[in-house]
Amino acid sequence: MLHVPVTGSSESAAGEGFLSVRGLNKRYGDFIAVDNLDLDLPKGELVAFLGPSGCGKTTSLRMIAGLVPATSGRIVVGGRDLTTVEPYRRDMGLVFQSYALFPHMSIAENVAFGLKMRKVGRAETEQRVREAISMVRLTGKESHRPAQLSGGQQQRVALARALVIRPSILLLDEPLSNLDAKLRDEMRNEIRDIQQRLGITAIFVTHDQAEALTMCDKVAVMNAGRLEQLGTPVELYEKPQSPFVASFIGRTNRFAAVAKNGAAELAGLSIPTPAGMTGKVEVMIRPHRITLSAPADGAPCHAVEGVVTRSIFAGDILQYEVVAHGATFLVEQGTAAHERPLEQGSPVRLHWLMSDTYVFGAAA
Amino acid sequence: MEDRPISLTLRIVAGIMLLFLLAPVLIVVPISFSADTYMAFPPSGWSVKWYVAIFQDPKMINAFWVSLALAVLTTVLSLAIGLPAAYVLVRLRPRGSEAMASFFTAPLLLPSIVLGLALLVVFATFGLLGTFQGFLAAHLVITLPYAVRVLSTALSTLPRAVEEAATTLGAPPLSVFFRVTLPMMRNAIVATSALAFLVSFDEVVLSLFMSGPRISTLPVEMYHHVENEADPMVAAISVLLIVLTFAVVVVVDRTAGLSRTFVK
Amino acid sequence: MTAIAPTLEAAPARRVKIPLAVILLIPITLINLIGFVAPVINLLSFSFREVQATGAMTGGSSIASWVAIVTDPFYIELLVNSILTSLLIVVLTLVCSFPIALLLHRTTGFARTVLLFVVITPLLTSAVVRTYGWIALLLDGGVINSLLSLAGLPTLKLIFNSTGVVIGLTEILMPYMILSLLAGFRRLDPRVEEAALTLGANPFQTFWRIIVPLTLPGVALGSLLCFVLAVSSFITPKLLGGGRVFLLATEIYDQAMVTLNWPLASTLAIMILIVFGGALFLYLRALRAIA
Repeated sequence: MLHVPVTGSSESAAGEGFLSVRGLNKRYGDFIAVDNLDLDLPKGELVAFLGPSGCGKTTSLRMIAGLVPATSGRIVVGGRDLTTVEPYRRDMGLVFQSYALFPHMSIAENVAFGLKMRKVGRAETEQRVREAISMVRLTGKESHRPAQLSGGQQQRVALARALVIRPSILLLDEPLSNLDAKLRDEMRNEIRDIQQRLGITAIFVTHDQAEALTMCDKVAVMNAGRLEQLGTPVELYEKPQSPFVASFIGRTNRFAAVAKNGAAELAGLSIPTPAGMTGKVEVMIRPHRITLSAPADGAPCHAVEGVVTRSIFAGDILQYEVVAHGATFLVEQGTAAHERPLEQGSPVRLHWLMSDTYVFGAAA
Repeated sequence: MEDRPISLTLRIVAGIMLLFLLAPVLIVVPISFSADTYMAFPPSGWSVKWYVAIFQDPKMINAFWVSLALAVLTTVLSLAIGLPAAYVLVRLRPRGSEAMASFFTAPLLLPSIVLGLALLVVFATFGLLGTFQGFLAAHLVITLPYAVRVLSTALSTLPRAVEEAATTLGAPPLSVFFRVTLPMMRNAIVATSALAFLVSFDEVVLSLFMSGPRISTLPVEMYHHVENEADPMVAAISVLLIVLTFAVVVVVDRTAGLSRTFVK
Repeated sequence: MTAIAPTLEAAPARRVKIPLAVILLIPITLINLIGFVAPVINLLSFSFREVQATGAMTGGSSIASWVAIVTDPFYIELLVNSILTSLLIVVLTLVCSFPIALLLHRTTGFARTVLLFVVITPLLTSAVVRTYGWIALLLDGGVINSLLSLAGLPTLKLIFNSTGVVIGLTEILMPYMILSLLAGFRRLDPRVEEAALTLGANPFQTFWRIIVPLTLPGVALGSLLCFVLAVSSFITPKLLGGGRVFLLATEIYDQAMVTLNWPLASTLAIMILIVFGGALFLYLRALRAIA
């Protein structure tokens, strides 16, 4: 009764995702934690909520789970409106940053808890608990207490506990941030594998862009309570729709400029701007898309003369700071054998593709 | 924090003061084993006759049973009343929670002689003096503040996420409380019980005001006994009470922690 | 995210369910109203009740109790005596407790647990037991005087006078003072002491110029607490004073339980509360001066 089957649920209406969030708002007094969030997530995808601290990503997740009441808005999963449904009837699996295991229960009891609440029969409970524990490779630890396990093992128990109830959606709230770097990589792959194997829809809250880009199908970038952009990692990187996304995902050169008559001036160049854009704009170029030689295929590009003012050898890449017509560019080059870094004061010519140049209207 | 050598002067001075602090507690031990009929030091001989004497004194035995029943009931009620209150103050947090918390712990600020007199005057009009219910009400007034304080502190340090995890796994609020919150508060509940039991069992000022000819508690009987004569029987009872107290301190140390409970 | 995120996101307040909260708070509120608020208010009104020479109340009202307290030299002396004795006890308690608290503050691990046991076990031991211990120590034929005569020294009159009361109460209040000081010592950073020592201050200068000023808030709190407890305690003064030491608290008990003049007892109890108000006022002033 509580259990929304993962498969076989009615196909949602066209244009709507499996999870559909409409106009979700959360206010604490004057503070707007989440501002008018609209979101459609297709079934079976792993989607990251990515953003800096306090951007509203965790609050959004907690509203979807029902732990925080929304000020306004609607949450629909698989065609079922959950907006006013109590959190304990939402059938979502939530994995907490702090694991939040029940310290007074064994691992098996922890995993079985959700099934007990659903009054699943004993034989079935035992089998599903066994499967869940083996899925996270903890067979043999059933009778241990959480305190006897390492951080990584505890997080795997939390994962098994959330998945054993076959939730409609798996929610992960910064599940890796309490783990050390090596374990984090391991768990990242493990979570992704399990999610794909089960074909479950999952939301993964993180402030770590590498985590979001490498393991998720889609990334929702949030800032100051607003959804900045929802897209695949490639889309976010190649087609950022806002200066925040462009600068938050990957490194970037940012220049302030003024748009006039369809162009903005940067380092003596005239950068074409989108139609109708006037006034202050921001021009962004990724450091590793700048080359020191013209593209061989003759693709349309910008080029400017400059002088190396700083040269840093960082093993896999060379970083140059180049000043050209008063503008400072960060340039990154992959290193190759027998290549000598340019020295400070060397004259260089910078090239980058027109299509690698992003122009944004200045933030209001 | 790095350990700094503690100066010899401080060790010696503090040692003397500690001896002073422990003197009255320690001295009752040899006296309780005295063979004399009056208090003398050193005793002329050793015996356990004063321990035997306790059990032959019907007044003391009756008072002991009253104190025990009173302490047990006070403890149970302190938990039953204090736990919901702590839950409201820490978890539900209605408006004015802070003010309410101060209100519930306010009886501790009132000196027991003033509270005792105030209760005497009111209870006299309701015929509660010299009754078990009168004792119970008076003891609850002073054990509840302890209960609320220890339980609130414990509840506020429990990670919310664990309860939320239970919620997302399908547990309704009452199930969350009984299956997750309560078991996680086990230590605090044990510590609260130990403290409430001891405060009630040791309470003398309020009990003096509440006691009547038919009913009285062990500390009250001891007080009256000492008022009249200082024979070693009270020393024997004292040793038993000190052992009980020590046991309670051990329990609190093992559960809630001494520093967290007593050093704010 | 924990470090910078607004606490709002980390711990959102749950929707308040007023009815449930109200239901859960009913029992404790009732106990507090019946066993605390009503009796205290009643006490106030009782101090204005008229009373006959026999102690029976007439039902009329009168300010006789209040007049007696502010005019009768016995009560004025009682008040002054109580305050002065309590102040003396506070000073002695502070002097005796400070070294223990400092030792506790600097001790860690198992030794600290042992010390806490030594401080807290007496705190939780019944006042009757500890007072009885002092009787055994201070009696004319008690431990101290027996030891004195064994050493061929003259015996001392240590009990059934103010001396006994002061000694007993000082010891009984020490745990409260120690714990208050310890709470105040949290401000004491060992590096500050070390800095003072490296700057050329000798240990005594360090103590007086660094440790003492930094611990004053704890001292003030402990002193307030012990003063309040000293003024209102009566088990120890009663038993160690042997009926010869008259203090506010013992007089309240006698008026309430022996003379049965409840209006006068109530008036004296309110007097104690007024003294507390004064102490609290001074404490807050002192705290502001220190901070």
